Formats: sequence, C-alpha cells, structure tokens
Amino acid sequence: MRSLEMSLTFTATEGKSRGFTILLTTLAAVAVVGFSCFIVSYIQGHEVFGSSNVVPWGMPIVVAIYLIGLSAGSLILSSLTYVLGREEYRPVSRVAVFLAIVLIFGAMVAIALDLGRPEKTWRLFMFFVLNNMRSMFAINTILYGGYFAIGLLYLSFIFAENSKLTKIMGTLAVVWAALVHMGTGAIFGFIAARPIFYSPIKPFEFLAAAMASGLALLIIVVVSVFRFTNRRFNKEIVFSLSRLLLALVIVLFVMVFVDKLTHLYSPHREPTLWLLTGPYSWVFWGLQVGCAYVLPLVLLIHPRYKRTLSGVMGAAFLVVVGIFGERFALVIPGTAYPLPFYPGKIEGIWGAAGSFPLTPIETLMSLGIFALMGLVFILGLKNLDLLPVDESGEQIPARAKEG
Amino acid sequence: MARWGMVIDLDKCIGCQACSTACKMENNVPHGSPEEQRLRRDIYWNKVIAVTNGKYPRVNTQLISMPCMHCDHAPCVTVCPAKATYRREDGIIVQDFRRCIGCKYCIVACPYGARSFNSKEYDEKEYYRHDAPPDRGVWGQWPFPTRTHGVVEKCTFCFHRIDQGIKEGKKIGKEVVPACVEDCPAEARKFGDLDDPHSEVSRLLSSRGWVRLREELDTKPKVYYLPQ
Repeated sequence: MRSLEMSLTFTATEGKSRGFTILLTTLAAVAVVGFSCFIVSYIQGHEVFGSSNVVPWGMPIVVAIYLIGLSAGSLILSSLTYVLGREEYRPVSRVAVFLAIVLIFGAMVAIALDLGRPEKTWRLFMFFVLNNMRSMFAINTILYGGYFAIGLLYLSFIFAENSKLTKIMGTLAVVWAALVHMGTGAIFGFIAARPIFYSPIKPFEFLAAAMASGLALLIIVVVSVFRFTNRRFNKEIVFSLSRLLLALVIVLFVMVFVDKLTHLYSPHREPTLWLLTGPYSWVFWGLQVGCAYVLPLVLLIHPRYKRTLSGVMGAAFLVVVGIFGERFALVIPGTAYPLPFYPGKIEGIWGAAGSFPLTPIETLMSLGIFALMGLVFILGLKNLDLLPVDESGEQIPARAKEG
Repeated sequence: MARWGMVIDLDKCIGCQACSTACKMENNVPHGSPEEQRLRRDIYWNKVIAVTNGKYPRVNTQLISMPCMHCDHAPCVTVCPAKATYRREDGIIVQDFRRCIGCKYCIVACPYGARSFNSKEYDEKEYYRHDAPPDRGVWGQWPFPTRTHGVVEKCTFCFHRIDQGIKEGKKIGKEVVPACVEDCPAEARKFGDLDDPHSEVSRLLSSRGWVRLREELDTKPKVYYLPQ
C-alpha cells in the first residue's frame, strides 16, 4: 500500500492542444452570456425570470441545491482515500476534492444571482451580527462558507502532501459536507406552510441524493477525463464505485418512497396526489423516479451491463440527470401548489396552482453558471497537479457533462 | 405595550375591494397590469379571495379580505436570514427594505400568501397617481414614495399612521386606523388593541364567535374573522 502511494505522482494537464483552447473559449463565451443575462435581470428586476409570487424560487435555486448536492457527494467520496485509507481510489481523489470546491463555488454564485438584491449578499455573512440565526438559511450560510474554506485548506494540505493534516482536515470536511447537505434539506424540510417540502426526513433524503449524484458525477468526470487525456486507469475502480452507487441509489429510493408514502396520508394527501398526478408529474415520474432510480438500478443490477464501462457510465449519467429532476420536482411543484387560505374552493387566481415558464434569460444565466464552473475546472486541471502522471499525450478535447 | 390587531366581520363585508384599493393608494402599491396579474407578479398588500362552498344552485360564496395576519409566531420572521422582517414590540410584523436581500424565503414560508416580491423597476407614472384624493396629505409624506425592485413587501398595518397618531396623542382604533379600516364602507373592519379590554376589537371578540385562518399551523394571527 505504501508503495502504491509512493508511486503515484500528480501533474497538471498541459492545455496546449487545439481542443483545450476551443473548449476554454466556448465556456468563457457561455459564462459571459450568462453574466450579461444576470446584468439584465439586475437592472430590469426579476420579471425577466419565470418566478412569481406563487413560485418564488426558480431555476437558479434548483441549480444551486443540485450543485451543493454534487459537491458534498464528491467531497465525501474523496475521504475514502484520505481518511479511510482506501488506496485504490487515490488516483481520483484529488479531482474529487477540486470538483467539490468548484461545485460549491458555483452553488454560491447561483444563490447570489437569484437574490433580488445581489449587492447585499455580504449581509448573509454577518454571522450573529446582522443575521437572524434562527433562520435555516442563515445557518446554512455558515455551513456553505465554512465548507468552501475547509475544502480549500483540505486541497492545500493534499498538495503539500501532509498526510496527517490531510486526514484531520478530510475528516472535518466529510462531517461538514454531510452537515451542508442536511442543512440544505432543512431549508425545505422545516417549512410547515408547504406540504410537499415539510418532512423531517428531508435532510437525510438530501444527504442520500447528494452522495448518489456526487458519486455518479465523479464516475463520469473520472472516466471521461482519464479517457480523453489517454491515461491508463484500472477499471476495477469504476466497478467498485458503481457498487457503491447502487447502494446509495437504493437508500435514496427507499427514503423518497417513505417520504411520499407518509405524505399520502392525511393531512398532506391532496398536495402529494397533485404532485404525483398533476402537471408536474412527468418530472416526478419521468426524471426523478425513472432516470434517478429505476433505470440506474436496472443497469447496475443487470448481470451484463454492470460489468461494462458503458453500462456504468450510462447509469451514472442517468443519476446525474435524474437528481436534477428530483430538485426540480421539489422546488417548483412544492411552491406551485395553491395555499388553502380558507376552507372551501378558492376561486380565481388565488386558488389556482402556480406555473413556472422557462424564460431565456433565466435559462442562459443558469447555463452560464455551469460554464463558469467548467471554466474554473479546466483551468484547475491546467494549473494544478490534479491528475496522476501518465506517459501518453495530455489533452482534454471535451468534457462529457458539465458541472 | 399595545398589541395591535384587526377584526373583520364577514357578516358586514360586501366584497367591494375598497380595502385593497385603499391600501394601494395609501401605501403607493402599483396597480399591476393584466399581464402581471396573469403571471401573478402584481403586488398585493391586501387581497380579497372568493371562496365557494356547495354545488350550484345551492352554493355559498364568501369574500375573504386578507391583509397580512401579523402572526405572533410569524414563520416569515423565523426564516428571514437578514433580520429584514421582524416583530415590533407592538406586534406589527414589518419589512425593512434596506435590509431585505430578496431571497424570497419568507414568501415560501408564509402560509397566507401575504407577501409579494417586487420584480420590476417601476416607472414614475405607475405609482404616482393624480387620482388619489388630496386629503391623504394629512398623513404627511407617503412612507413608500418610490419602490425598489428586488425586495419583498407586505402589509404594515399602516404603522406610519399609528406611530404618528400616538405622537399626536390621538386614540388609535377610533381616530386613527389603517387605511383599509378607514375606507371600508360597510364598517366591517375594526382595528385596535387586543390587550385592552375596553377596545372595540376586544368587545367584538368577546361578544361573538371568531375564527383565525389556518390555526393548524400555530402561527397565532392577529387578524380575526367574525363568521357569517
């Protein structure tokens, strides 16, 4: 084990190839477009978004909680090497930590851009002074900020090859990452007014979703980076990761099943039925249940596909897409369901379910956030020693799925 | 310290929406275009909902005027990360626009839909209305002369009137009331101190059965309804 550790050295990609330049330029262009869209929304107001007084949270919040999940999952998995000493994962663990930092950065950008007054973001970081510390959001700001700082320290200790400090920081980072995601779940789970949100299991459901989607993203990123940079890697790593993914998807599926089953009983029966059969049911059944749970389970249990790289990659891709659907199916229908102000049938707009139209500005801004993260990620690959040294050529023509 | 509350008599309410209009004029809340109403982006500090029970031809329609409930256990105050919405000592839940960061968490948490997000930059003409009666001038400067977009706003129980009335030594609840109470033609609304046993609201609440909306959430609203 010692010898394996010694033999691994990490390096940066050269980033001189044509493909790298094209990718860099494209991502930068999309990020600039996204930023322009943010400026438009800042000047004109949120009328350019699809959100309204009924569905106050739109795409940026969906993207933010999705990214936080991916980040926490990615960081927790890096601990397999640095805390639990599983050496077989060492080649991918540096990328995992860096990816986690990039993703939490993207999530914080997404939240800040969704604020009505983004120039007041600093107010969120006045812990205990200007903040109402009973608010789950304020508590989460401590968690997010601390998570970002811990992630940076963790990565710097890894670069300094200080294994003792790395282990300490890795342990702290894992506990913190779990808290981050449970806190994010609590933002939704503690809102008694919204029946689809309100659930004590939400923090744990978020944690399971975070780990499943983070692991799936890590599988995609690792396989594509290693393949496109023509590095050799042990397929067994991917297959052992895929077994872990199977376990996490099962845990997540059970949690969501229990959550929805509980909600099918009184007093939250009506909103839950609306979610399962109403206008957003296709997101729930198609993306959340279909893409995130059922199809990956089939792929990962199937005796033939679970032993092929494309089968595992397909499952991981489905999980990453499906968890996005899960976030969407929580945030949008959760607020769109009309509030029962008064017993009886509320007529007119006050009793109608909210709708969430996808607007170009909002969509481009969200894409811009992804592009910004991709930009930071490939610049990191270029300038930091993240990937294990390999003898063959180094280039990154394209990353399969951004984020 | 007083604890301001409101009583809305559904027996007297005729559903004329004068309260909504009075509120819009008093607090300078923009009208909202039909397009904004369709997208549900228009701002209401006081709304009137129509609730039907039964099946035609035997159907009962009730018109429920809903200002902010100024809950004693306000979920919006709990969730606001920036202390932008807080409970004053007299029980009024106010929103400080200078602190509000526009995260909209309070809109998500409010069980009464009392909060509106200001989602656009308003033109001068949209909130400066010459049709407003001149006697509004007795209350001095409008507290909200212009609007900034990107913040959440809501009913304030016209605290500017109450504060000025107390300063001038007037009787709150008799001489000085919020705009919606003043303009109600049916006198269905009463405003006053819930802790004062001699106030009009206390008298009404002790003389008749009352309901508060969504009691099951334990928000303890300070707006009471006297049912038909």
